[in-house]
Amino acid sequence: MSLARTWSILRKDLRLGPRSPVVLWALIVPIVLTVLIRGVFGGLFADQPSLGIVDEGSSAIVAAADHLDGVDVRVLPTAGDVEVEVTDGRLDAGLVLPAGFDEAVRTGERPALGLWLSGESLPVDRSVLTVAVLDLVREVAGDEARASVEVVDVGEAGLPIDLRLVPLLVLYAVAIPGGMVPASSLVEEKEHGTLQALLTSPASVGEVLLAKGAFGVLLGMIAGLVTLTLNDAFGVAPLAVVLAVALGAVMMAELGLMLGSWSRDTNTLFAAWKAVGIIIFLPAVFFVWPDLPTWPAYLMPAYYFLQPAYAVGVEGAGLADVGVELAIGFGICLLLLPPVAAMGRWLQVRLAAGRLPAGDADDQPPSTTVG
Amino acid sequence: MASALHTTDLRFVYGDRVAVDGVSFAIAPGEVLGLLGPNGAGKSTTIKMLIGLLRPQAGSIEILGMAMPQQRTAIQSRIGVVFEEKNLYPTLTGRENLAFFARLFGRSDVDLDHLLERVGLATRGRDRVSDYSKGMRQRLTVARALLNRPDVLFLDEPTDGLDPVSARSIRTLIREEAERGVAVLLTTHDMYEADELSDRVAFIDEGRILALEAPEQLKLRHGQRAVRVRYREDGQVKEVAIPLDVAAGGELQALMGREDLLTIHTEEATLEDVFVELAGRRLE
Repeated sequence: MSLARTWSILRKDLRLGPRSPVVLWALIVPIVLTVLIRGVFGGLFADQPSLGIVDEGSSAIVAAADHLDGVDVRVLPTAGDVEVEVTDGRLDAGLVLPAGFDEAVRTGERPALGLWLSGESLPVDRSVLTVAVLDLVREVAGDEARASVEVVDVGEAGLPIDLRLVPLLVLYAVAIPGGMVPASSLVEEKEHGTLQALLTSPASVGEVLLAKGAFGVLLGMIAGLVTLTLNDAFGVAPLAVVLAVALGAVMMAELGLMLGSWSRDTNTLFAAWKAVGIIIFLPAVFFVWPDLPTWPAYLMPAYYFLQPAYAVGVEGAGLADVGVELAIGFGICLLLLPPVAAMGRWLQVRLAAGRLPAGDADDQPPSTTVG
Repeated sequence: MASALHTTDLRFVYGDRVAVDGVSFAIAPGEVLGLLGPNGAGKSTTIKMLIGLLRPQAGSIEILGMAMPQQRTAIQSRIGVVFEEKNLYPTLTGRENLAFFARLFGRSDVDLDHLLERVGLATRGRDRVSDYSKGMRQRLTVARALLNRPDVLFLDEPTDGLDPVSARSIRTLIREEAERGVAVLLTTHDMYEADELSDRVAFIDEGRILALEAPEQLKLRHGQRAVRVRYREDGQVKEVAIPLDVAAGGELQALMGREDLLTIHTEEATLEDVFVELAGRRLE
């Protein structure tokens, strides 16, 4: 096995990628779907409320505001700056903290505090920012909350639909570039006869499959991570999400290599992909409709990268919470290696059978090929 | 001189059908061996075993002193193969196709411009292969087979379906490579091409080699030389072929003396005639 030759084949595929309709389709469709879904169900273009702060002294409110969840905070040098930004609608609100404000609050003086609200900001953002500022001031004053608020969810249980669709989008983003692209690339090599040319150069079947697989993993990871970024779904443990997507891309690439090795031509590949696609995409159903019994999903390989990605990216779980699923996913990737190698050998058998005219003795399945 | 390629008792069976049955031959450096036979004779299976796509079920192959398939990678780095089908990447340019294979052979330093010039594609190297004609594609596959300066060339129908100009340029390249010392195994349906290029010819049928000799020897041994005479008699053109071995003597001299003699041609057997005599059927 030569890494230099593998890299040469991968480089060639990367160069051919932008000229291939399949690659472009595989990369663009998940992004278009994300934009459509987030556009329809909200979230993609909805900015967080923004607050500009001018600190004329050294208020602790600035540091506390920086940790506000769901508010975009900017510190500006002068009151004039913040006024311009709010007036022009670039900020939803502006706050000017006079020198000695914190001390005055703590001694109970009830100092005046100016909060400018932009006329173009949404009412919901104005309410959020007003409450957030009052909360910050109470924190500085050292006041305890006067009541503990119990939050009760009403309406449809669980997460909103745009979040529940994230696994489907991620699965699509990883499966098509990760699986379909290497499969299609392999089939194209067969259809153009270039695979035969490759295998009579010093390159081996293993090197060809490794390069195609790496191509799929790379594209699957890019598409998967871009989709997660567009959905703001990296949670508190981005590394775990990246790991889950990487496992998914490897899994799909292995599946793609097997399908690509098996398929005689593009039509066969698409038919096979449709059949296998049901098994690949089934786990996403259980995230979209969480009330369904989830045990069938445990039988599907894709579940073991989808669940960790969802748990961490959407539900806020940590790496340790999804360790078991990731380990099982890794195990599945390892288990798929021998079948991929076997399909590679079978591919060479098929290739050696050749595409000779009908009736030619050479057009018979050979029993032995060079490994 | 040690042979560049040597096979002994090669055998390969597809199911219950014997494709190659005890094939043995050798090719010396600088020699062109034509492997001729009808479809299904076992030519392609033999070549597939030689280039490392098929493992022989019996027999041995030695190329450049190395055993195939045991030393497949080392051998493949020193051979060039031209397939009958034009297996190139259509969306890459001609130059990109060559550069890619040069990297696979570890020959990134090869002068691609010179190679493109040798096959008459110097001005089209930066065009996509999808825009090439059939002849241009075939010339590019020949360039690809040459980019590692191979010691052994395998050419499967290299001029099949080409226009006369492209076919001639490829034949010229084959001769040049043979003069450089490259051993060439050529399969072709074109008997005239085989006759013109091959130092020796092997006829293969039903997996067996029927004859292996220089074309001239084959034609002398199996064919018939004759003198064909046309003359006018009773207002009609008549033609007679007189075998040289029967000789000439009286009958030919009598004809030569006629006033109404029109033409005299010598003729010799073609490789096609030789195959018919050996196999009892035509090459198809």
